[in-house]
Amino acid sequence: MYEKYRKKSPWILHYNAGSCNGCDIEILAALAPKYDLERFGVINTGNPKQSDIFLITGPVTLRSRERIVELYTQIPEPKVVVAVGSCSCTGGVFRDMYNVEDGVDRYIPVDVYIPGCAVSPELIIDGVVKGLDILEQKTKEMEKPFKLFQEATTKDGITSRRETPLRVGEDNEKN
Amino acid sequence: MSKKTINIPIGSQHIALLEPVRFKFECENEKIITVDSDVGFVHRGIERACTTKFKFDGIGYVVARVCGLCAITHSLSYTVAIEKLLGTEISVKAKYLRILLLELDRIHSHMLCLSHTCESAGFEAMFMRIMGDRELVMEIQELLTGNRIQFDYISIGGVNRDLSSEIAQKIRQNLYEVKQRALGYREEFTNNWSLSLKFKGIGALSLDDAYRFNAIGPLARASGLHVDVRNEINYLPFSEVGFVMQTHKAGDINARNLIRLDEIQNSIKMCENIVNGLPEGDIFTKPKGKPNGEALVRFEAPRGELMYYVKGNATAMLERVRIKTPTFSSIPAFSHIFVGEDYADVPAILASFDPCLSCTAK
Repeated sequence: MYEKYRKKSPWILHYNAGSCNGCDIEILAALAPKYDLERFGVINTGNPKQSDIFLITGPVTLRSRERIVELYTQIPEPKVVVAVGSCSCTGGVFRDMYNVEDGVDRYIPVDVYIPGCAVSPELIIDGVVKGLDILEQKTKEMEKPFKLFQEATTKDGITSRRETPLRVGEDNEKN
Repeated sequence: MSKKTINIPIGSQHIALLEPVRFKFECENEKIITVDSDVGFVHRGIERACTTKFKFDGIGYVVARVCGLCAITHSLSYTVAIEKLLGTEISVKAKYLRILLLELDRIHSHMLCLSHTCESAGFEAMFMRIMGDRELVMEIQELLTGNRIQFDYISIGGVNRDLSSEIAQKIRQNLYEVKQRALGYREEFTNNWSLSLKFKGIGALSLDDAYRFNAIGPLARASGLHVDVRNEINYLPFSEVGFVMQTHKAGDINARNLIRLDEIQNSIKMCENIVNGLPEGDIFTKPKGKPNGEALVRFEAPRGELMYYVKGNATAMLERVRIKTPTFSSIPAFSHIFVGEDYADVPAILASFDPCLSCTAK
């Protein structure tokens, strides 16, 4: 049941990781009547545990990086991360400043990058709609049944359910 | 009743906050006793980068990224400081165009603050209404400068784009619309009963306290303190285009809202005067030389006094750029207002200050 509504009504969580406010007020403007992101069922929540889409603005400052990872881990799967603005994509004008970490994707995986300084509300809407597709795709992938182990095979005299048998005592021990 | 106190934190991530800031409130029952604030979450190190990474002619566009809401005031203050050092004399038309954008920026910033205050008080419909009308101003800004938020309109020696007659017509039209809508808000903010419960008499700052805690901007003017940098500087001809200082007596959230509405009306009048009486001339004069010496420039940002100190040594790299931002100066007054208020009123009070943390932390 949740899957059905998640597709129609994704909730977003917004965090400012050192942005200049420009992108943040454009996110607000995108939610307001002229652009009206809410017609897609999008609601801005303050609670990471109820959110599906994570909007991050700003180049990650040293003090906000822990919060970003913390918020990211609190969002339940499936989740989509959208980097809003040039700063959160690459660091933008703040790149190589001493308190800045040059972009969100150094810390958490990003699904959609939205460039621009400041991004226009049209681009934010495009990005969120693109994020919806990715969210659906991720939901399907989570639901796909998969086998934990392969069929039992005997290779080199060792019976194993793994694709490459695990050999104890070898130098480059994998799996 | 026990005398036990509880610590309640707000932030750094909270639905009522646009930006990361953390307040720790020590509460006794519902009343707040002490406040502790932590504003440094968005520190990026711009002042340092201005003296090591960028040349002086590009810094105007870098300091605009200190804050998206008062971007124009930041780049304008820096540019005026550099023009003082270079001895560049800019044309009258460029001066008027600078004031035009400065006041448009003030209108949209005040409207954002008003809508955010309403949202924090739980009046979602008013938030949507003001945000919808704010798009009229954003439209003009996009036409005039080419971008909605980060304008990059002001360069050393003048401005980057001219005002054509079609754009002037559109500005007149939209500003007339905004003026009518703003009168409607005034009606709502004065007479709406549910808004008055949340705003009237709450978060008050007396005139003495405003003076003692060095409040600036709309916060001080709502308490009756006559401070406005536009009244004290002579780099731009504010009084020629019809600037009148607005003050109010009560000092509570409602007074701050009314001050912002009055300033919107005054700014619209200034913009209309500029558009109607714009002189002919060039918009750009080429600057010569490298900055040498010290300059100090003050401007009135939407939140209060913004101060720039620039020191050059006749090379392309500057020696020091110091930015003193309005919210930083107002923090003592903020903390004083919170004491004795109900915890439930905190989001509305905080939104009525219109804090700008990315300015504060730089």
